[in-house]
Amino acid sequence: MLSRIADSLFWIGRYMERADNTARILDVNYHMLLEQPPDTYKLRWDPLIAITGERTRFYQRFEEANAQTAFDYLGYSADNPNSIAQCIILARENARTIRDRISRELWEDINGLYHKINKLRDEGEGLSRFCDAVKRGGHRFHGVCDATLARDEGWHFLQAGCALERAEMTARILDVHYHQLVEGPQILNEARSHAWVAVLKSVAAYEFYKRQHSHIEPTQVAQLLLLDPRHPRSVRFNLGVLQNSLYAISGSVPGSYANEGERLTGRAHESLTYDSIDEIFSGGLHDYLEEMQATCRTIGAHISQTYLYYAVS
Amino acid sequence: MSSPSQAIIAINIPPEFGGRPLFEGYDPGTFYDESIAPDGKPRPEAAAMHEILAGMPLDVFEERRQLADLSYLVQGITFTVYSDGRGTERLFPFDLVPRIIPRHEWDVIEKGLAQRVMALNFYLQDIYGKQRILRDKIIPRQLVQSCKHFRREMMGLNVPRDIYVHIAGIDLVRDSRTGEYLVLEDNARSPSGISYVLENRLVMRRTFARAFEVSEVMPVDHYPNELGRILRSLSPRSGDRPVVVLLTPGLYNSAYFEHCFLAQEMGIELVEGRDLVVVDDVVYMKTIHGLTRVDVIYRRVDDDFLDPLAFRADSLVGVPGLMNAYRAGNIALANAVGTGVADDKAIYAFVPDFIRYYLGEEPILKNVDTYLCSRPDHLSYVLDHLGELVVKAVGESGGYGMLMGPSSDKKTIEDFRVRLKADPRNYIAQPVIPLSRCPSFDPATGTMSARHIDLRPYCLYDGEKVTIVPGGLTRVALQKGSLVVNSSQGGGSKDTWVLRGDGGQEA
Repeated sequence: MLSRIADSLFWIGRYMERADNTARILDVNYHMLLEQPPDTYKLRWDPLIAITGERTRFYQRFEEANAQTAFDYLGYSADNPNSIAQCIILARENARTIRDRISRELWEDINGLYHKINKLRDEGEGLSRFCDAVKRGGHRFHGVCDATLARDEGWHFLQAGCALERAEMTARILDVHYHQLVEGPQILNEARSHAWVAVLKSVAAYEFYKRQHSHIEPTQVAQLLLLDPRHPRSVRFNLGVLQNSLYAISGSVPGSYANEGERLTGRAHESLTYDSIDEIFSGGLHDYLEEMQATCRTIGAHISQTYLYYAVS
Repeated sequence: MSSPSQAIIAINIPPEFGGRPLFEGYDPGTFYDESIAPDGKPRPEAAAMHEILAGMPLDVFEERRQLADLSYLVQGITFTVYSDGRGTERLFPFDLVPRIIPRHEWDVIEKGLAQRVMALNFYLQDIYGKQRILRDKIIPRQLVQSCKHFRREMMGLNVPRDIYVHIAGIDLVRDSRTGEYLVLEDNARSPSGISYVLENRLVMRRTFARAFEVSEVMPVDHYPNELGRILRSLSPRSGDRPVVVLLTPGLYNSAYFEHCFLAQEMGIELVEGRDLVVVDDVVYMKTIHGLTRVDVIYRRVDDDFLDPLAFRADSLVGVPGLMNAYRAGNIALANAVGTGVADDKAIYAFVPDFIRYYLGEEPILKNVDTYLCSRPDHLSYVLDHLGELVVKAVGESGGYGMLMGPSSDKKTIEDFRVRLKADPRNYIAQPVIPLSRCPSFDPATGTMSARHIDLRPYCLYDGEKVTIVPGGLTRVALQKGSLVVNSSQGGGSKDTWVLRGDGGQEA
């Protein structure tokens, strides 16, 4: 497989996942705040901007973070390279570039999503319907991939892209909220509990959480999002998926590694498997999550160096 | 059609279209009409389809038309227009009324094109070899060597199996006065449009399945197989399966869809310049598991941009060192480098002479009379008759650099006069040919009107014989009265049917 094609598949996975995650956090935050007292309001849009790593650029453009400015910037803005619309444009551009290598259905689906969000913008649709369309688009994307793509190396690059992006995104969502809710300025208990529910909902883990715990406990939320091997949005789950895809590409067997990306993925996955949540908290959750995000970025760079942009002598 | 598409754009039929008959008020006029004979009755080859269309209410037709458009949009067969900061997707307009060619006419076209493609190849082999034709003074040496697509680098280079033009698109028009097909120009570099031929057919088969039941239309979809076979046969390495790739300038090229489409249909890798690397005069592509040797490149990148070390140094889409690998005989290129010296619009005037010189045959398809502005006698005639002639820049295509005398204002004509005098070699002139017309639908008014058309058949040459997919791309000038069919100038396309017989009840 051409390196450039593998690169495109990897980034289709990452961009689609990024669009989906951004839509989820926007949507959940919006709905949660509809019933909140106005004084907590302002506090609660800023973390969203932080999650996407866009604070500096955002505040150059807007004075305050609220539903409208957050939606403008995270939803459609062409100035924000990580806005949902930009992610979908880039996913589509990658898909278009390699449309001879993916199923026709997958191309038509991504192309359809692109036209759909343009139409919603032209019609002036609000945040809720927009996010809904993007989330549905994300689900359909995974469904079409699953049902129409051959399980070859290309598939594994796509999976690797999705898993890596999702792992990093979940770690970041948890990090930002934890920082705000536990270490940040004191807010009402009621509001705090609502916020944790929103975190769980934004990664579709609320129902799963409630089946196991009767009330919302930050440690338990962190345990689920970081360490639970069963939930498809937990960091551990996704590093497991990533590890399997990397093995499939290189032919390595479990317990070994063929390159630096595999080694780091394996080490991070081990740590998430054997570290307890109490250990993590006593060492500092924020530091742990920061390191996990940094590891994800390093893994991405190594995958690139190994397979996609290696030097030819 | 897949369901997400339905959600993108709804079908919307203007209520006033109602159940009006489609051909109400249709006027074939004084030009040759491809569907309707001068007596007002459908021509035999078009009769079956005409009956279906004539019996179809306007609103039903319009619905099918919109569904056809939608299928192009969903598949992303669009080109992007940047106007308001974000790209707007435009369709290459597709007209649902097919252009129908009876078998006896096609037989003549096919023979004429095969003859022409053979002659163009002999000519190129000669020009980059012994140059007999120059010594015999069939064509002026000065004219050939001043051609901007003449590539000195190709002199004495042996191309695989002596083939220069593997793929040619030869533009034909039918002269309304005689009913005869004429060759308007040759495209011997990398003609595009074949993907539209194949997609148009696909859409037509879905849209008018019944018409295909009653008309015996010859298939077109073997084109990619045939092209793939020829490309594989060029491999300089014997033995194992050759690695064939299609080299594209990339996503922003207007023919990118076609590049993807052909690569997929032929089961070959679609590559960009940055995917290829030349090491010790051997071409490789970069894969996730290292370098893989490449044997044949179907390149859709112009000569100028092919190799920054040999041609334009600023090319970002080429492959450094490719010409060295070509010269070393380690890679085959289709088409060969330097074929532009065969499709220059001034050289065109001599192609009938090539046919006589190399094949000892009379040309089956005639040229349009052509004045070479490089000849002083022709130039003075052209300058005296600018208002009646079509003037074309010799190295341009796509309808650019062109003057349509009869429909141009005085200022434009005077502009051209200056340009002609300054650089006569760069221009030719031809009389305006009254192109034949074909019924075409205008969605804005819901009426069927006669519009001018041309035809670009696609010819494949394997070193022994020429294969031509029956039909080709019919382009239509959708503007009333316009004779310019290029897509860049507001043209559209039609499906082209070659019938197994001549149509009509007896066939």
